Amino acid sequence: MMIKKIIDEIKSLSVGYYILAVIAAAGMSVAAYRLYAGLGATTNLSKAFPWGIWISFDLSTVAFSGGAFTLAALVYVFHLHDLHPAVRPTVLAGLIGYSSVLLILFMDLGRWDRFYHFLIYPNLNSALFEVSWCIMLYSTILVYELSPALLENSRWSGLIKVVEKWTIPMVIAGVTLSTLHQSSLGTLFVVMSPRVHPLWYSMLLPVFFLISSLAAGLAMVVGGATLSYWIFKRTLPENIVAELGWFIPWILGVYLVLKLGELEITDELHLLFTSGVYSALFITELIIGVVIPIVLFSIKRLRHSRVASLVGALFVLGGVVLNRFNTSWFTIKPVAGQTYAPSWMEVAILIGVAATAVLAYSLIAHYFPLFEETVRVKRQSKVRRELAHTGD
Amino acid sequence: MSETTSNENDYGFLIDASRCIDCRACLVACSVQNETPMETTRIWIKETGVTGQFPDLERYSAPYHCMHCEDPSCLSACTVGALQKGENGIVTYDQDRCIGCRYCMYACPFQVPNYEWKQQLPLIVKCDMCISRLGEGESEPACAATCPTDAIIFGRKSEMLAEAHRRIEENPGKYIDHVYGEHENGGTATFYVSPAPFEDLGFPSAGEMSPAYSNRLVTHGTPTVAGAVAVGLSSIYLTIKHHEEAMEALKNGSTHEADNAADEETQVAAQEAA
Repeated sequence: MMIKKIIDEIKSLSVGYYILAVIAAAGMSVAAYRLYAGLGATTNLSKAFPWGIWISFDLSTVAFSGGAFTLAALVYVFHLHDLHPAVRPTVLAGLIGYSSVLLILFMDLGRWDRFYHFLIYPNLNSALFEVSWCIMLYSTILVYELSPALLENSRWSGLIKVVEKWTIPMVIAGVTLSTLHQSSLGTLFVVMSPRVHPLWYSMLLPVFFLISSLAAGLAMVVGGATLSYWIFKRTLPENIVAELGWFIPWILGVYLVLKLGELEITDELHLLFTSGVYSALFITELIIGVVIPIVLFSIKRLRHSRVASLVGALFVLGGVVLNRFNTSWFTIKPVAGQTYAPSWMEVAILIGVAATAVLAYSLIAHYFPLFEETVRVKRQSKVRRELAHTGD
Repeated sequence: MSETTSNENDYGFLIDASRCIDCRACLVACSVQNETPMETTRIWIKETGVTGQFPDLERYSAPYHCMHCEDPSCLSACTVGALQKGENGIVTYDQDRCIGCRYCMYACPFQVPNYEWKQQLPLIVKCDMCISRLGEGESEPACAATCPTDAIIFGRKSEMLAEAHRRIEENPGKYIDHVYGEHENGGTATFYVSPAPFEDLGFPSAGEMSPAYSNRLVTHGTPTVAGAVAVGLSSIYLTIKHHEEAMEALKNGSTHEADNAADEETQVAAQEAA
């Protein structure tokens, strides 16, 4: 009976789910082969480039998932309750993001059979140790923050009251942990300084990574609002999206001043024009990810436009991705002329994990009350009033 | 400000590029001693290639392995503390702890740690001065014991450094005036003298300060940052909450005041009327 119900349920899902499931399964098979065969047989990693596209992916994904802690801070700590409808969708996005990172990190460990060693053999000087712990603890907190949505229509819904009682301390712990690991991902490159290009190397790397994760996190919420408008037919009220967009130029403004100021202080400003392809990468990163979004989100009419805010968000995210790839891959000084490009298996595993992530998000969004407080999109409806909150 | 300071019992190497004949006996000795395949020995050769005009051709080479830094970057990087500074200044590797994250490979300014890429469950490969061999009472590591031209010599670190400077001073013009390893990455336990510039030998140019120091400046700040953020966020939460409650109270209170004022007005009006 139960099984028949499940089969019927699976049959009722749209074709998109099946496509994602096939891609995910293919990626997971490659991942299983990677775990069996070892890194040398499956990746293009080498002594000269011991880290590759997986680390760049991890750095970008953690930055994107910054939406969860940024929003939690705004809603719960800064009491911006208008933004509350965005919490559940964003927290789920964060949780799925961190889970993908954990999967890929697992792939990246040569001795994946000992992944738990970071729990029992601490090295307090290691940025990677700190990142591992923070990601583990923070993922747990994200599950906690999401649990009301998972419990709501279940027989354990009584637990929601208990969960909500501790929401504020948990959020504060979560934001603190995020501050730590978002910045520590920048710290990773401090001890690697001989290999990092001077345009990207800075003692302020942890600060740069933290600030850009704030911008990326907000951009995820803003862009996600438009995407869910199209995909799930649920979205945030337009004025809330605009309110979030309002923060972006300020955050990116601080980032821009610090980035250029740091180059000025360390007497490296000339590198902006004299480092050839590196200068081009650096300037592209700042124009795409900082200058253009500052302009777009400074214009009130564009902040209130769904399409324009999505475009602006994509610029922010593109800039952050380029920054993380530049820092961890593109501008790493080659050794003995050796360079790195990923193998097809490295890319296939990434695509598989990404498909799994989208699949998991869609399924949870399908079965759990994620968008309860968001507004239902009624395109036919001419009555503006109907766009009002359905929740609260 | 190095966390690990050197002491007089530290071991060190002196490697003389003018004596190395590129016979690679040290690679074989290392492979046998540490039971590693030749492709992942803990020692290898760096060389200049043939330079000069015929018939005055020159070619220099030198064996290359872990420098055993005073303040090793790899120690700061290692997630699980598998790399440690042992007795006698030896940078040791605990292969039972290693999770294979390869952060040490990126952190090392000398690109020393190698990886068993062909293994299903690979480990890091790195010189440990043949610590087990020394423990068995041998006086020097396999590479130094094997070298037929004494291009690698091994002993107390301070003596090795003194000998390096003595060779440069007593042979004017033979060596370039630079003991590689003395100041590189904040000082190491492996000293090189060479007739050819070290960049020609393919040695990386490491700074005089170990990035491990900058790394510690940041990572040691973690508890402070965590505390400040947690307290800061709590104070913001409570301040705004307090403010909201105060506003609420004010709103209620002001209604009372308005009532009182109205009462007073009526009283005044009543008195005036009277």
